[in-house]
Amino acid sequence: MIGIKLQGFNVIILILSGIVIAYIAYPLVTILIFVEPSKLLDSISRPQLIDAIVLSLASATISTLLLSLFGIPFAYFLARYNNFPGKFLLRIIVIIPLVLPPLASGALLLGVFGPYSPVVQAFPEVEFTQSALGVIIAQTYVASPFMILASQAAFDSVDESYEKVARVLGKSRFDTFFKISLPLAKTGIVIGFIISWVRAVGELGATMMMAYNPHTISIQIFEDNAIGGLRKAIPDIMLALVLSIVAIIVFYIITSKRRPQRQDVTMNPK
Amino acid sequence: MVGLSLVNLTKKFLGFSLGPLNLKVDDGEILVMIGPTGSGKTTVLNLISGLLKPDSGSILVDEIDITTLPVESRKIGYTFQNPSLFPHLNVYDNIVFGLTKKSRSREDSDLEIKKLLEDLGISHLTDRYIDGLSGGEMQKVSLARMLVTKPKIMLMDEPLAHLDTLTKRKLRLELRRVLRRQGVPTIYVTHFEDDVYGLADSVSVLQNGVIEHTARLESILKYQDNLSSPFLSNIISSGGGNYLEGNVVKSKDGVTTFKIGSHLLETLGDYSIGCKVGILVRPEDIILSKEMVKTSARNIVKAKVAKVSTKNAGIVDIHLIIDTFHIISRITEEARTDLQIMEDDYLFAIFKASSPQVVREEQYH
Repeated sequence: MIGIKLQGFNVIILILSGIVIAYIAYPLVTILIFVEPSKLLDSISRPQLIDAIVLSLASATISTLLLSLFGIPFAYFLARYNNFPGKFLLRIIVIIPLVLPPLASGALLLGVFGPYSPVVQAFPEVEFTQSALGVIIAQTYVASPFMILASQAAFDSVDESYEKVARVLGKSRFDTFFKISLPLAKTGIVIGFIISWVRAVGELGATMMMAYNPHTISIQIFEDNAIGGLRKAIPDIMLALVLSIVAIIVFYIITSKRRPQRQDVTMNPK
Repeated sequence: MVGLSLVNLTKKFLGFSLGPLNLKVDDGEILVMIGPTGSGKTTVLNLISGLLKPDSGSILVDEIDITTLPVESRKIGYTFQNPSLFPHLNVYDNIVFGLTKKSRSREDSDLEIKKLLEDLGISHLTDRYIDGLSGGEMQKVSLARMLVTKPKIMLMDEPLAHLDTLTKRKLRLELRRVLRRQGVPTIYVTHFEDDVYGLADSVSVLQNGVIEHTARLESILKYQDNLSSPFLSNIISSGGGNYLEGNVVKSKDGVTTFKIGSHLLETLGDYSIGCKVGILVRPEDIILSKEMVKTSARNIVKAKVAKVSTKNAGIVDIHLIIDTFHIISRITEEARTDLQIMEDDYLFAIFKASSPQVVREEQYH
């Protein structure tokens, strides 16, 4: 039916693939058991949940925009300037928020933005913790590797000869970056943007440390589940699920539109 | 007038040292730079373009020192082996990429671009994206992109290297015509002998980062038996040394007759009557006969044996004088013994019309 012969190797692959799919999809199915359609709409339209989702979307968007502003130039730097001492150390630093437990990341951020820290003493009127700003700080920190690494990979895939040609054709470094490097790396950067945004929306651990209040969607799910069990958290989860599916669809639309980026003059003899 | 001068230019890498280089290329001159892989040819172009900074020395364009100018301010046209057309832009946007907004908005600029595209035969491609173009079309677009910026110097790094033989031959003929019209100094890097014959006004040989020999092509061909550079000697002899120049007197049905001295020779292809063509004939293609024979070959000329030299074991070069020009026939030692070929003998040199390759075509002005 799907053009695969059911023999030896293929059977093993299909069984293992089936287990993986079942493992990922089954929780999505079981959740429906807990859904009470009559109460779902009321639960979803709770002001608390609406506030949480608005905060998550807004803070994740701001975090990702901040990451774009600072992360994309940094990713370009990592991709193009290969030979300097300490490059390996820099790469490790970039990856740390990815491998560190999010709660530990939050604790580290508290060291910088918590009470008595030099930053807070320098700006006493700014609420760095237990505020929307705290949420943004936490999300930006944990999502940063996704933006930087995806953008770096995108710049790595752009043949440097395009930039050389642009320079020789009279374009400045700025023009070359904005007219050649950035457009050619666009797909990878957009993917990095989406993954960072999704990561920021789903962030929990570091955000709990920095700003338990106001609630983001993740904290709302955590709290509703803690107070009222899974049934109370279901509307929050359903909403998060819809958001995730939209993000996945956008991701696939963008990745399927990739244009070839390299030419080989021997490829198309006419 | 000297358009480009390199004065004591040096550059050191790990394990490689270039220079000191001294080189002059006149306005309108095409200097073909040859040398083995790793001899530093591309480095020379990168230094001139500003993509690399020299350790010492100067680069002068029209006697103005540009050594410290940034790449974008040098007004240099540079084409690479890979045409590196921008994949996110269509052909037209690629071509006008190097123009400023001001120059793009000028009406005469539009006309110039249109004329250039027509000249290169790519006007029909302007709306296309580059991933559908052939290798030859890509190189033409790359050339157009370079030419519209009106560079003061042109640098070309084996732009024809990856093309098939037929496209390469056609494009080379067009390239020389276009470069001559631009009238600016050009350095063309290659290691193909056909590029030397087809494009060069002068030839420079780079070996291990040092210029070993620089001379006009006529001089190289004239003194090809006594060249000081073994690399150049090898290139010239692998091209056969049989480079002939003649005038087209007739061209019909894909066969062109050209005149050298008092001889009429035939080659395949259509060329404009009156134009001057440069032709290569491989020594291996020239058959020798002691007597006039009736044959299907279209080119038969009587020649005097000037010299017989052993090329390799079992192979000899027979140097022949035919009125005002000379050619070499490469035959086996056994064939020479059979025919009893000696110096000062008279022979008939025979080759088919399909044998000569036109590598250069120039209109009289």
